[in-house]
Amino acid sequence: MDTTKIKKPRGIARLVAGKCIACGARCESSCPVSGIVMSEAGEPSIHAEKCIGCAKCVKVCAAGALEMFYTPEELELLKKWEAQHGAVEEELDPAERELRAMLAQYRGVWVFIEQYQGEVAKVSWELLGAGKELADKLKVPLSAVIIGLGVVQLCEEAFSYGADRAIVLDAPVFEHYRTQPFCDALCHLIGKHKPEVILMGATGQGRDLAGAVATVVKTGLTADCTGLGIDDKRNLMQTRPAFGGNIMATIMCDRFRPQMATVRPHVMAMPERLPGRQGEIVVEEFDLREQDVLAKVIASISDKDGKDQVDIAGAEIIVSGGRGLMGKENFYMLKELADELGGVVGASRSAVDAGWMPHSRQVGQTGKTVRPKIYIACGISGAIQHLVGMQDSDVVIAINRDPEAPIFQVATYGIVGDVFQIVPAMTRMVRTLKEQRGGVIPDRFAV
Amino acid sequence: MLPDHHYFLPLFLLSVLTFCYSCYQRLQLVAVGASEERCDRPGERLAGVISYAFGQKRVLSRPFGLNHFVLFWAFLLLLLANVDFLLQGLVPGFGLEALPAAVVKPLDFLFDAVSLLALVCVAVALVRRVLFAPSYLGNDYTKACSGEALLILGLIATLMVAFFLMNAARIALTGGGGFQPVSAAISRLLAGSRPTALATLFQAAWWVHAVVLLLFMNLLPRSKHMHILTAIPNCFFRSLDRPSVEPREVFERGRRFGVSAVEQFSWKDLFDSFSCTECGRCQDLCPAHNTGKPLNPRRIIHDIKVNLLQNGPALKQGGEGDLPLIGAQGEGTCSEEALWSCTTCGACLAVCPVLIEHLPKIVKMRRHLVQEKGRFPEELLNLFENMEQRSNPWGIAPSERGKWASLLGERSFKPGETEYLFFVGCAGSFDSRAKQITVALASILDAAGVSWGILGKDEICCGDSVRRLGNEYVFDKMARGNVQLFQEKGVKRIVTQCPHCFSTLKNDYRQYGLELEVLHHSELIAQLVSQGKLTVPKHAVMGKLLFHDSCYLGRHNDTFAAPRAVVEAATGQAPGDFERSRENAFCCGAGGGRMWLEELTGSRINHERVDEALKQKPDTICVSCPYCMTMLEDGLKDRGAEQVRVKDIAEVMAEALKR
Repeated sequence: MDTTKIKKPRGIARLVAGKCIACGARCESSCPVSGIVMSEAGEPSIHAEKCIGCAKCVKVCAAGALEMFYTPEELELLKKWEAQHGAVEEELDPAERELRAMLAQYRGVWVFIEQYQGEVAKVSWELLGAGKELADKLKVPLSAVIIGLGVVQLCEEAFSYGADRAIVLDAPVFEHYRTQPFCDALCHLIGKHKPEVILMGATGQGRDLAGAVATVVKTGLTADCTGLGIDDKRNLMQTRPAFGGNIMATIMCDRFRPQMATVRPHVMAMPERLPGRQGEIVVEEFDLREQDVLAKVIASISDKDGKDQVDIAGAEIIVSGGRGLMGKENFYMLKELADELGGVVGASRSAVDAGWMPHSRQVGQTGKTVRPKIYIACGISGAIQHLVGMQDSDVVIAINRDPEAPIFQVATYGIVGDVFQIVPAMTRMVRTLKEQRGGVIPDRFAV
Repeated sequence: MLPDHHYFLPLFLLSVLTFCYSCYQRLQLVAVGASEERCDRPGERLAGVISYAFGQKRVLSRPFGLNHFVLFWAFLLLLLANVDFLLQGLVPGFGLEALPAAVVKPLDFLFDAVSLLALVCVAVALVRRVLFAPSYLGNDYTKACSGEALLILGLIATLMVAFFLMNAARIALTGGGGFQPVSAAISRLLAGSRPTALATLFQAAWWVHAVVLLLFMNLLPRSKHMHILTAIPNCFFRSLDRPSVEPREVFERGRRFGVSAVEQFSWKDLFDSFSCTECGRCQDLCPAHNTGKPLNPRRIIHDIKVNLLQNGPALKQGGEGDLPLIGAQGEGTCSEEALWSCTTCGACLAVCPVLIEHLPKIVKMRRHLVQEKGRFPEELLNLFENMEQRSNPWGIAPSERGKWASLLGERSFKPGETEYLFFVGCAGSFDSRAKQITVALASILDAAGVSWGILGKDEICCGDSVRRLGNEYVFDKMARGNVQLFQEKGVKRIVTQCPHCFSTLKNDYRQYGLELEVLHHSELIAQLVSQGKLTVPKHAVMGKLLFHDSCYLGRHNDTFAAPRAVVEAATGQAPGDFERSRENAFCCGAGGGRMWLEELTGSRINHERVDEALKQKPDTICVSCPYCMTMLEDGLKDRGAEQVRVKDIAEVMAEALKR
């Protein structure tokens, strides 16, 4: 066997035709010898005589549009070299090695449990479901992070939704949500436990906290994700709509930890609740005095007006009525249908203006934005002000006399006809189906 | 025979001193305001003074204004008589008497006759205020028959009566009076009185005249009649550009954004508050006030004045006032709800006889609320977010912008080739109803062979709503973006289908150095018709048609004729007018960002406008603005009058071209 030490051939970088996505010259900026210049079209042209074969550009290219080219002699040499050194061992530069060491320190998936006076936001349980899948793939435990006052009893609830561990900070200073103490506390916990993934609900509180924490711990944050997954290098693949929903972008945070993402309510499925499931409770301490917190909570004012406790923004089925319902008394018809389906009644602005429904039920630009699974629009023409409040619903069923009504442009199913005949017929139909199946909502309506 | 000037001189000096002191105090308060350039283009300013102040142009636009016109000119002429009167009191024998008879005699006649006219005017004004007072004279802080108003009328009447008695007594004693018919007539009534009695009458009348005159002078700076001193300069310092265009803000560290305290207003804003004549015309036309909202433009100006007077002493010493400018503290404080009620329709600006600029003050205070306090009606949160992120009010994907044109083929603006940039605007791009207007306009332009193109997904909102709502920062971003885009594309001419885009591109963007030919579609279509490029094969049948003036096209840009000409060309007959039309038109209720706000207080502005239309039983209401379209259509539906159609002028014209 030839024992003379062979120098590993480095080759030169070259463009794979048709693969460049003109991402914005990442390869150009990665080249240590300025051997890459961008063409008019935004594609790189490589000066072969300058290339030192460091392969930095190949690694940085997101589209796999660059490869290393070896001459046949070099390939021969490469084979010999690999035989000497073992084929799989990769040559790492010190920076890369350091990065991998850092990444390896971070293990575990966290879900921040958002609660208000002991009542947990549903999205947090949904995220435990999503987090469980990630944790299983990564083969790490799933932790629920609970910060508040008198919140220890929430741990069991978290276990029942899939958490393996609950990290609890229970102190008077955390009674009400405030950015500064929560951010400081969470950063402290991150520093101590080093999780690799943190998920939060894209709610008012979650959006506020996630941004603050990510800034302090100097990591990336992807807001409003619609899909989460793990790639072969343990990186979190965070998918979200970009450019106005026209494309789906998968965002990676492969050089920083933890990887943080927020997800809007109702995006992830609610996991099955398994009462009695056990887990480990980790009670943490964080030294923070009330007088060091600048923001004070003077009063908590609920936006629920007391009379109407229904929050249409969180409803999964909404039966909405507009001017076409002709009068307040006809909303009972919608209520009947909604009750049969297990949904709530909403209204367009004109119905609210006419005093048929309270403002808290208004859907649209100046009312609430809703994303139910089924939105049934009855006698609503669909002015843009209304459409923007409901067009993200999964299924829109529109019932209107006027076939030209704009509501039909966003409807999944459109019924041109008289609401006063169609809605009672639908109610009867649902009732019959339920009776046939023993009083439960049939599968095709179950949500 | 003249009174002893030894008594008069000290009285006169004292009065002049107190008068000057009062004026000085007020001017010192005005000087507390921020600096603002209002002296440029003096020629144009003087011309304005002549027409608005001396010509009383705005005053005369209402029938009763004639009374004020006569009083105003009587006041100016009698000023000369009173100077003469004062001079004679100070230096006996020194006055107009010294001039040749050929000058004195006509003057005597003039003063005599004008005094009678003034007396009649005062009587008419008094009768009007007492018996036929229009509702807008009064409001929550003053009445038509306020003590102040009656006192002033009383003082003027006393001056006239004393003047006549004084002259009559003199004529009865010494003869003459050939050129003073009124005084001579009174003197005949005095014939036969003893000379001593006549001399006493003369003395008494003289002193009454003198004391009342000095009293009147001292009352001026301390009452609404301050306008006698400030109205003329206020006309001089008026905004030479569109007063509805709010000043630009500079975004730099350490600056304040908007106005939260009275001293942050410009000096002209404060001067305005001392110029208000309390005529109530702005209140009369204000759509918010008329539908029971807490806003009254006159009250805003009044509150600024009260606030300034109360906080004045502290401000003059460089301190801060106790009375907040924005809040719920009553007189001297503007309520937030009032500020959010403004539709920026500009009726107050267009009607104010002394050219007070109400609207920019409201927007300046909104800027403070939005940019420094983050306090605004919660519906706006959605709007602001959508505007910032997607550059349209509804948060729809920008890629949807150009989709309406997909059926028309490739229609993008090509630099150097396309003549007109069609700036479609958010409503025209996204709102399904307004898109019909867009398509109608496109078909008209094609029929006339106009070269036009759109920016498609690159177009961003003009920023009208955010600017009127006080979110100047986002507006600034949009304006810069659009201006840069227009410059890059080498745009020379723009046509819009929305008066809000139109006015913003044309007027507001000037502040960003953009001076292009911007046309509202009504102007372009009217031009094409008059150039013979559009011929209507058969008139569109629209039944009885009323034209509703859009505030931003009409009042804000004086475009009243073009849309009417388009309707006339399309239907063969001139459109009917609302009861309140053109400069006096009543807003639909959507301007000033009100489109994006709930209207919870009082009655609906669009209902009031629709009711006004329905009185005339129209078949079609014609509009020139997508906001008006939405508001009037909604109003008609609410009133169960869906048989009345609302059509944009472009739709009417497209209909006519179709046949």
